[in-house]
Amino acid sequence: MTFRVDRRQFLMGSTALLAAGAMSPAMAQAERMRLIFWGGQARADRTYGVTDLYAKQFGTVIEGDFAAFGDYWPKLATQIAGGNSPDLIQMDYRYIVEYATRNSIAPIDEFVGKELDLSDFAPDQLEGGKVNGKLYGISLGANSAANLLNVAAFEEAGVELPTSATSYADLPAMAEKFNSGNKRPGMKLWSDNSFHEPGLENFLRQRGKALYTADAQLAFDVEDAVAWFQLWADLRAAGVTVSPEDQALDANDAIESTMITLGKAASTYAHSNQLVGFQAANKDPLTLINYPRVAAGSGGGHYRKPSMFFSIGATSPIKADVAKFINFFIGNAEAGAILGVERGIPCDASTREAIAPGLDAQSQAALSYVSNLGDLLGPLPPPPPSAAGEISNPLLRTKSQEVSFGQLTPEQGGQQFYDEAAAILARAKG
Amino acid sequence: MTAHSIGVESRPIERAVTPSLWRRLWDANAPGYLFLIPWLIGFFGLTIGPILSSLFLSFTNFDLLTPPDWVGFANYQRIFTADPKFAQSMRVTLLFVAFSVPLKLAFALCIALLLNRGMRGLPVYRAIFYLPSLLGASVAIAVLWRQLFAGDGVVNDFLALFGIEGPSWISNPRTSLWTLIVLAIWQFGSPMIIFLAGLRQIPQDMYEAASLDGASKWRQFWKISLPLLTPVIFFNAVIQTIEGFKSFTPAFIISGGNGSPVNSTLFYTLYLYQEAFAFFRMGYASALAWILLAIVAFFTAFSFLTSRFWVHYEQ
Repeated sequence: MTFRVDRRQFLMGSTALLAAGAMSPAMAQAERMRLIFWGGQARADRTYGVTDLYAKQFGTVIEGDFAAFGDYWPKLATQIAGGNSPDLIQMDYRYIVEYATRNSIAPIDEFVGKELDLSDFAPDQLEGGKVNGKLYGISLGANSAANLLNVAAFEEAGVELPTSATSYADLPAMAEKFNSGNKRPGMKLWSDNSFHEPGLENFLRQRGKALYTADAQLAFDVEDAVAWFQLWADLRAAGVTVSPEDQALDANDAIESTMITLGKAASTYAHSNQLVGFQAANKDPLTLINYPRVAAGSGGGHYRKPSMFFSIGATSPIKADVAKFINFFIGNAEAGAILGVERGIPCDASTREAIAPGLDAQSQAALSYVSNLGDLLGPLPPPPPSAAGEISNPLLRTKSQEVSFGQLTPEQGGQQFYDEAAAILARAKG
Repeated sequence: MTAHSIGVESRPIERAVTPSLWRRLWDANAPGYLFLIPWLIGFFGLTIGPILSSLFLSFTNFDLLTPPDWVGFANYQRIFTADPKFAQSMRVTLLFVAFSVPLKLAFALCIALLLNRGMRGLPVYRAIFYLPSLLGASVAIAVLWRQLFAGDGVVNDFLALFGIEGPSWISNPRTSLWTLIVLAIWQFGSPMIIFLAGLRQIPQDMYEAASLDGASKWRQFWKISLPLLTPVIFFNAVIQTIEGFKSFTPAFIISGGNGSPVNSTLFYTLYLYQEAFAFFRMGYASALAWILLAIVAFFTAFSFLTSRFWVHYEQ
């Protein structure tokens, strides 16, 4: 052995190492901002385009981290529980109340009018980011529930695209035409959307009900749930929808396994901002239309939802810097051009006007759809209770499968869905 | 690094005559513990620590975001009295273990017997048959399985040759669990290797003596191979049963993480994962984990207790 370290050298070396280790996080915090968001590669590319631009202009390095929606929440919750909260957090309408009431995200009001210029910001979107009167999230875009349509499949079958007036009652006749003219083996007109929570919510709102009240109760009755399962049982029997087995392939809400992407249906329920993501996974041209009306002339089912927010981590030492970046993200025209409408329609009027001419045809379609909902548009519902995720999936999905596979009648399915959803809400209240 | 040679230097006589027990143990084992330190740190820090904290958490309502509150046995009480999904996931898991373990062992034994006939290129075949065991628990294979057993998948294309129109195996609640059982059986490699080693241990002269006495191959299998293999069968059965209870990845990928369709693939581990990481009920999930531990311990103890009635050790 020729290489030797005596004790003094060892001590000096290890002290230096320790010192370096202790200093580096401190140095990192001075100039780094940590951002976490959910989404796919397309969203990540756009997001990092903006953070690079910001770093170039202001010298602040932003470390990004992203995950798929399902993996995102455990990851975020573990980081916060471990005292390691990111500075900038992408937040969902479904979770914002929970995170705000547990003080995991910070109120933003003190930065409004200073770092954060919201003078051109859509008022309804601003309202959506408030919890108990305080602003906790800045909406990154407005979207609305939308039915995505495979234009080519409709044309080949010689069937006209559904319009904003189309109702559920029109679907059997449309399907009959589609099935006789359809050139694609195994393709049906409609996905079986009985498992789809936004679809159910839209249906309930058109009936003058809602999913949840503001104080976390069910805002519909057993009859409504039964009517929902009965509606889809009838559509299934009339040959409108895909088989239960095919629909069950779509088990985790990934774009890749939806019926439209698998070529098993000519349409699928989704959200307007997802048109961009769906088109990337589909060869045929897609367009979007509202969910069908429950009866001719019934409206108010849709709403303009903040598709996602930026919130500031409660323990972040650089909240003002984060607010400044959010301002850049929503208000800078160059940043807006990079982001497009992938997170929904920009809420800042000047950004919206600046980017509109440069959008591709589909982004234009999404923009015009969200801007022109007309009588379909209703008010924004209160944020859902914290247990809503469990009611949406797996409860609604399981009940819809039990009905579609014939294990339950629509009456039983509706009754059980109602009872178990109420039980889940009660359990969450503790 | 000083020059230090053990046992050469002379020690004070008092210490050499009456060293305490601990002192002697320490002198004898210190180097061993020294080398064990990295493992010990990992064992106590990363295994025992989390296990004990999960025991504590199982008596709380911990939800990751707020500090845990003590709730006593409420979690356990709910699991046993008011949780239909616990019962369903238990049913699915027991069904899976009850079918996949015996079938997998039988299949592994058959292949081992075939390979034990002294063929050329044995190492190659052994490697090929072992391959699924390495890949089987991976995400990629689960995705492949989805493709194979989907409605328009390879399996149905094959059945169509015989005029059979198969269902979408993977997304039909009546058949979905069976595709997972088939996937488990397909990973027969590691028990097969162990069986093969066990077969090699059986002295050839026993077979020679038996054939001189006119015993058929079939009889030799039942009277010589199988009894002498029972220790290996016992080992494989215990290991595979534990593996079966712990099975997670295939069901997670194939069911989209929620036991779909209609909870037919809601494995116990999958339900536990849902409670912990989808609904953030860490306390409840910890209680579920401890119950799983108890169940696995019960089955293992049961195997050991019954083993003396059917496992034959030579000598």
